[in-house]
Amino acid sequence: MITNRRKHIVVAMTLIAPFVFIFALVFLYPTLKMVELSFTNAPLIGSGEWVGLDNYRRLFNDNLFYTSLKNNGYFVLLTVVPTTVIALAIALAVNRLAGSMQALVLAVFFLPYILPVSVVTQIWAWMLDFQFGILQPLIEWVTGKPVAVFNHPSWVMPAVASITIWWTNGFNVLLFIAGLRNISPDLYEAAALDGASRRQLFMKITWPLLWPVTALVLTLQLILQLKLFDQVYLLSGGGPFNSSYVLLMMVYREAFQLNHGGYASAVAVILFVLIMIVSVLQFQLLRIGGRK
Amino acid sequence: MTGVTLKCVDKDFGSTKIIDNVSMDIAQGEFAVFVGPSGCGKSTLLRMIAGLEETSAGAIEIEGRDVTQTEPAQRGVAMVFQSYALYPHLTVFENMAFSLRLARAPKQQITKQVNEAARILKIEEQLDKKPSKLSGGQRQRVAIGRAIVRQPKVFLFDEPLSNLDAELRVQMRLELSLLHKQLGSTMIYVTHDQVEAMTLADKIFVLRGGVVQQSGTPLALYDDPANQFVAGFIGSPAMNFLSATVSAVTTAGVVASIEGSDGQSLEAQLLDTTLEAGQKVTLGIRPEHMHICESGLSTTVEMTENLGGVAYLHARLMGGQKIVIERRGERQSHQDESISVWADPKHVLVFAQDGQRLR
Repeated sequence: MITNRRKHIVVAMTLIAPFVFIFALVFLYPTLKMVELSFTNAPLIGSGEWVGLDNYRRLFNDNLFYTSLKNNGYFVLLTVVPTTVIALAIALAVNRLAGSMQALVLAVFFLPYILPVSVVTQIWAWMLDFQFGILQPLIEWVTGKPVAVFNHPSWVMPAVASITIWWTNGFNVLLFIAGLRNISPDLYEAAALDGASRRQLFMKITWPLLWPVTALVLTLQLILQLKLFDQVYLLSGGGPFNSSYVLLMMVYREAFQLNHGGYASAVAVILFVLIMIVSVLQFQLLRIGGRK
Repeated sequence: MTGVTLKCVDKDFGSTKIIDNVSMDIAQGEFAVFVGPSGCGKSTLLRMIAGLEETSAGAIEIEGRDVTQTEPAQRGVAMVFQSYALYPHLTVFENMAFSLRLARAPKQQITKQVNEAARILKIEEQLDKKPSKLSGGQRQRVAIGRAIVRQPKVFLFDEPLSNLDAELRVQMRLELSLLHKQLGSTMIYVTHDQVEAMTLADKIFVLRGGVVQQSGTPLALYDDPANQFVAGFIGSPAMNFLSATVSAVTTAGVVASIEGSDGQSLEAQLLDTTLEAGQKVTLGIRPEHMHICESGLSTTVEMTENLGGVAYLHARLMGGQKIVIERRGERQSHQDESISVWADPKHVLVFAQDGQRLR
């Protein structure tokens, strides 16, 4: 086909223009503005004076920043790998079901994902309520006494993590199911003829071929869980004793409660850079791991 | 000695019978081909021999051992899939070594066996590559190599050449034939392509609707088909079938007048017949047995396919029935010409209304 190169470029530009415009308007501009703000002492609304690296200097001497960073790390540990493993296990089980039964079970696992966070937190706040929560007898049976889960420094993060896994796991299951369906049944038959046991089928066929999906799930989860805010805000408010206080909460409090726009921007910049470095690094590491 | 024996084998999917009471004997070292149209059950039958499909009834024996309830890996069979089913994350060497590694064979033995198979198939250069870096033909070789490495009693091929282009298919067909001679193993090959069946097989099994219609050597099936289905399926271009009515019964056979041809008739040789005048039959004549003559069936040539060495004249009889006439070395197109054709009575096959051959 004969193509006019200039016309081709014009068409291409026209097609990407709406995206570029929206991207610039709602992402690029605010991001650059945020970086700029982080070097000023601006309040929440309006501009401030240039203070250089003052905000960052203050941040690196702020104990709450380190507490939040540690809590973010702890939450990532509690969620990313466990949710991936659980989703894979569920996907493997669901994949063995056939027809409408599979669709039904998949829908059941996916259902929590469509709930808004406020509903999710309300459900679990009730279920784990210190006085009348239906899960308290279970906790009492294990620990010997009822526990005010969201008011207990060692319980709060694991509880929020469990709720988050319950809430978001359906999507990961879906990704794994899609990955599993991509593996040709012929490969399993060939491996069965080659004498592979059930365990070997998983270790030598399923697992290596699912690796790209696993890497994707791990990376998506890492990004998502580093942005933790809603659940802790609604369930524990960052407490008790800041034991569930995370970086985004710090941004929220500094910006909207203490009117420190500049300082909040500095925290946000650090979180942004952190997520970028960690996720890119992880995805690259996982890719190398999958290639060997 | 027997290679593979099937005794009254059935396969049901729910209430549908896919394989219906199939019995067969494939001798050791024989190249057997299952051929038939799509959905005839040929692949299912192969998968049952492999152990990938359960057998609903009957027994499957491999070299005298009943393997009906045996796991696929313990049957001593290796299979080459239509999709090749190569493990995409493993190199060619690892693909071929897969079964030996699972069986924890010594490293030296694995290397030796894989290299030997690679040498036979001329893929030594490709051993370090992943399947995605190979061409269709090379992938096919790797799939065959993976089967060879297992040193199976029986090789099973499920339409292995259907994903290759025409030229490569012819080449691989020859190589498979040579490989069979070299290894001397029993091979069972499934295809819907009757040319592949004719060229590769020692013995062909023609299947339709899960039932073996006829089995035998390629030429036996070609020359002496048991029914109209086999007669039409084997041979390219297909046999001409003409609806006719018996007009006279003689000691040598029958005379049948072709439907709509104004009393024009053909003679067919029959040894023993219970046919009577007035009965409807179908006459079967291969294109190469139709000859142009001075007086015979009047036809009009509608189209000529000239392949150089041979030409196929597509013609229509007076009553509208179509026939194909093969002409060796023909250079004329005969387009729109009226010609008369005739066939030697000994080459005219007679089929009853139910499709069964009358001899």
